[in-house]
Amino acid sequence: MENSHVRDAMHTPTETEGSAAAMGAKIQAQGTNVHYGDKHALKDVTLDIRAGEVTSFIGPSGCGKSTFLRCLNRMNDTIDGCRVSGTVMMDGEDIYDPKIDVVQLRARVGMVFQKPNPFPKSIYDNIAYGPRIHGLAANKDELDEMVVTSLEKAGLLAEVKDRMDSPGTGLSGGQQQRLCIARAIAINPEVILMDEPCSALDPIATAKIEELIDELRENYTIVIVTHSMQQAARVSQRTAFFHLGELIEVGDTEQIFTNPRHKLTQGYITGRFG
Amino acid sequence: MSELTVKSGQGGARTRELVAAGIGKRYRAERRFRIFGLVAIVSALVFMALLFASIIGKGYTAFVQTEIRLPISYDVAVIDPEGVRDAAEMRRANYGKLYRDGIQSLFPEVEGRTDRRLLNGLVSSGATFEIRDAVIDSPDLIGKKGEIWVPAADDVDMLVKGRIDRNEPENTRRVSDKEIAWVDALQKDGRLETRFNWRFFTQGDSREPELAGIWGAVAGSFLTMLVTLLLSFPLGVATAVYLEEFAPKNRWTDIIEVNINNLAAIPSIVFGLLGLAVFLQFFGLPRSAPLVGGLVLTLMTLPTIIIAARVSLKSVPPSIREAALGLGASKMQMVTNDVLPLAMPGILTGTIIGMGRALGETAPLLMIGMVAFIVDIPHGFTDPATALPVQIYIWADSAERAFVERTSAAIMVLLAFLIVMNAAAVILRSRFERRW
Amino acid sequence: MPFSFLLLVLAGLAVISYRFGTARARAVAPGRQSQLHSRPMYHGLYAAMWCGVPALLIATLWVAFQPLLVKGLVMGGLPDAYQALPEARLNLVWNDIRNLAIGDVVRAQPAPEIQAAADTFHRLYAIGNSALALLCLVLAIAGASFALRRVSLTLRARNQVEKVITVFLIASSMVAILTTVGIVLSLLFESLRFFTKVPPLEFLFGLHWSPQTALRADQVGSSGSFGAVPLFTGTLLISLIAMCVAVPVGLMSAIYMSEYAHRKFRAIAKPMLEILAGIPTVVYGFFAALTVAPFIRRFGEGMGLSVASESALAAGLVMGVMIIPFVSSISDDVINAVPQAMRDGAYALGATKSETIRNVIVPAALPGIVGGVLLAVSRAIGETMIVVMAAGLAANLTFNPLDAVTTVTVQIVTLLTGDQEFDSAKTLAAFALGLVLFCVTLALNVFALHVVRKYREQYE
Repeated sequence: MENSHVRDAMHTPTETEGSAAAMGAKIQAQGTNVHYGDKHALKDVTLDIRAGEVTSFIGPSGCGKSTFLRCLNRMNDTIDGCRVSGTVMMDGEDIYDPKIDVVQLRARVGMVFQKPNPFPKSIYDNIAYGPRIHGLAANKDELDEMVVTSLEKAGLLAEVKDRMDSPGTGLSGGQQQRLCIARAIAINPEVILMDEPCSALDPIATAKIEELIDELRENYTIVIVTHSMQQAARVSQRTAFFHLGELIEVGDTEQIFTNPRHKLTQGYITGRFG
Repeated sequence: MSELTVKSGQGGARTRELVAAGIGKRYRAERRFRIFGLVAIVSALVFMALLFASIIGKGYTAFVQTEIRLPISYDVAVIDPEGVRDAAEMRRANYGKLYRDGIQSLFPEVEGRTDRRLLNGLVSSGATFEIRDAVIDSPDLIGKKGEIWVPAADDVDMLVKGRIDRNEPENTRRVSDKEIAWVDALQKDGRLETRFNWRFFTQGDSREPELAGIWGAVAGSFLTMLVTLLLSFPLGVATAVYLEEFAPKNRWTDIIEVNINNLAAIPSIVFGLLGLAVFLQFFGLPRSAPLVGGLVLTLMTLPTIIIAARVSLKSVPPSIREAALGLGASKMQMVTNDVLPLAMPGILTGTIIGMGRALGETAPLLMIGMVAFIVDIPHGFTDPATALPVQIYIWADSAERAFVERTSAAIMVLLAFLIVMNAAAVILRSRFERRW
Repeated sequence: MPFSFLLLVLAGLAVISYRFGTARARAVAPGRQSQLHSRPMYHGLYAAMWCGVPALLIATLWVAFQPLLVKGLVMGGLPDAYQALPEARLNLVWNDIRNLAIGDVVRAQPAPEIQAAADTFHRLYAIGNSALALLCLVLAIAGASFALRRVSLTLRARNQVEKVITVFLIASSMVAILTTVGIVLSLLFESLRFFTKVPPLEFLFGLHWSPQTALRADQVGSSGSFGAVPLFTGTLLISLIAMCVAVPVGLMSAIYMSEYAHRKFRAIAKPMLEILAGIPTVVYGFFAALTVAPFIRRFGEGMGLSVASESALAAGLVMGVMIIPFVSSISDDVINAVPQAMRDGAYALGATKSETIRNVIVPAALPGIVGGVLLAVSRAIGETMIVVMAAGLAANLTFNPLDAVTTVTVQIVTLLTGDQEFDSAKTLAAFALGLVLFCVTLALNVFALHVVRKYREQYE
């Protein structure tokens, strides 16, 4: 019974594929599999992520949504015993092609993590880190400007402009997370991946981040993993539902939440499991 | 929509360009850094290889010893002029004359006091004891003639082993041309051979390198280690058990804990000073005794054992304790019957490692006089003794060329002991390692 | 009766008491063992304890204090002419008597008083040993019979035994405290005596070190000079050289091992590096003196430099290698304590591995690394054998690594080995140096452990 559902589900996403490509897909995953040692963590996922939109991944914990997210900037490379197969195309290039340089890829695909992880450096140095290593700023003034712009975009500038030299770890949790977002956008990426960015934050900080995500959508393609369906409904235009390592259903957020095609999705949305 | 994409595309393009421009340089830095790391490890390992190679290269020849076969006439007039065959009397006889006569008889052409003395010098003075022991063992030799292998002097030994360069000019060489000619002649006659150096393993120290052995030092080390083990193991385990299982968590136990951690980092020589001031000066225990050495090393080893034992006790899961207590065992019964046996492999491993460290320790033993020149093999805990690492230090300080190879050989023996101990610890750990 | 034999006899008696104890406990309750308060084994242990412990305590105390007592009696029995001697000379006399009595060194013609004293010494020891043996046996048998008489259904033998064991456990944990107290007191006392002869300021800040004091007061150069600054600078110089080797190599090895090395490479190289830590220091000393020092000398001369045959460089270099595994294992711990999130953050920004390590991991781990390096420095300062064998005795006030320097530990060893009277400024100076060494290493350790602990807490 369960199996037949899954089989059905595998065809569901591909139905929307044609239209997605037409909409200008930034990233196209085709038959992506991930193995951690013996564990088959992600099974044959095919999914498009459209440019200039927020796509959210939802599903119960351990469903593979974070694993898939980490495929998109090859963060899985840093984990021992992790193998990725299938293709992930970004602007028509396979990012797992041996010719693709992972450093250059990550400069294009930024990432924000579940727990805020500012470096044990000053606020300024945290933001300046990316531009510095990539050599994006020609001089100090340009770097200063980049830092200020990024903080501005992340909505943090007003709160920290008087203490740019104090350590980033001294900020509150929500501020730290916005600092990490500012750090990610300082290198001006094309895509920003967010792995449950609000799970460690209080509701007010969460609201601020969500607002920020909405603003950032103008300039960046955003993928967000979230365990909160409300959040997915609030911030994203498209939603993908994962279950047990498989992509069950993907579609416009409104459609997924109001009229899910798949029973599993429906069960999850209505809170029957999770 | 399309406008937005263009916007982000533009910014992205610039980033992409700049990143691509710098990437080569960054990867070169990456490679350099990586090579630094590899070079660090490799240089440490190369140093170690050099150390071992140098010690083995210097020392392997010490396991053989050049010996000379001398014709000896066991003259009654020299050994036992009164004919009473009294062993004590016979021990005092002038055996030196016998071996000197022996070597002279091989080179009858050598004339003059200086040359004869030079000739006598080919044979180690230890020949005296060889001949004496042969006579005491079988008194019927007396009055007969025989052949006996005796050790050659250290310079001859070095020459035969190639440690003295024959091509060096004579005035800077330890051995004269004459002596070389004699040695060659002896070798041609089959009277000179290198044989397994059993003296090295059975004798005590000596001023003569060819007679010096490590047995005295090994016995001293053994006695010292025995004292250390007998004291440090029970004391260490008891302390660990108290701190881990019984002690209330208060200021006092905190002090003990901090104190133990600090003791573990105090330089070993300070323990030597403690031993000198307390055990020797205050309690008047004998100098150079394995007992005192063992006491000092006990104090030094205790922190290691305590720390290892505590870690091991800590790793026994609380469920075991709860089960024992739940069955009505007293706390002491729980510890002795259930917890300690489970923690024992870890405790033993820690103990072996601590003992290994104690075995190689030198500095504190110098302070309590175990550095003395001691010929006799120690038999008790208060006999004057030295220890293997101290013996190495003493020999390393000696001027004779031949002591270099003995020192290296003694180091090999010491390292062999340490390897065996550490291997035992590794095996113990892997055999009994338990994952909870 | 030799002491070890006495111990064996006591152990034998204890075993016999154990047997009797268990047997009696069984006999008291034939067939109704469950009515015994404690199992027979505990009755046996109870008897064995009463048999062994008091006798053992007495024996230990006796052996510890017998020499003091004998010394008092023998020295008290010497004629007045000897009593009037200064303390230092008196100690020499005592050494003579003891050597004579033990038969260690046979002097040609001992003075009759000395010979008599030696005989007394001998006699006292003989009496003492037999008295001890007798006392121990009596105590053991009395204790055992007392305990055996008390065996009954209601005897709370287990509680008694456990109480004794608890006392033993507590006493054992006191040993560590006593050791520290012993170290502090002995160093302090001897140092205070030294400072009555040499003012502390002169010792700590004097620039000239030559501890050769003459035996007689009228000899030339009778007052040595005890300015320890050259020793401190020498120690620092060698430690500095050692750190210059150990810190970069140790740190880079740790980084390579934990961040780059293939698992198989690590499995082989890591234990190999640890072998370096297990090699006795005397072996390093031998290698430094016989291989490294001549090599550096030849190399330096080849470059037209004048190198002392016992250069600070050789000793420092080898000491540095000895400390490599120490630095690398601490760095390894510290680096692994940096949360994975830090690495992820850097990687996600597109940092290369080395950029992540240099800009994020090492700065994050810096407090821990500094703590580890301080611990390593304290090791280097206290290291003895390498410098004794490879550094010289010349107390040069220099920072040239090619010169010979001497260190605190070298001087302690030279001052205290060989025969000399115990109370001269020369020997006491060793304790003053020991005190300095103890204080410095202790301070370094306490500080470093504090830093490392604070660092760990930060990431927990």
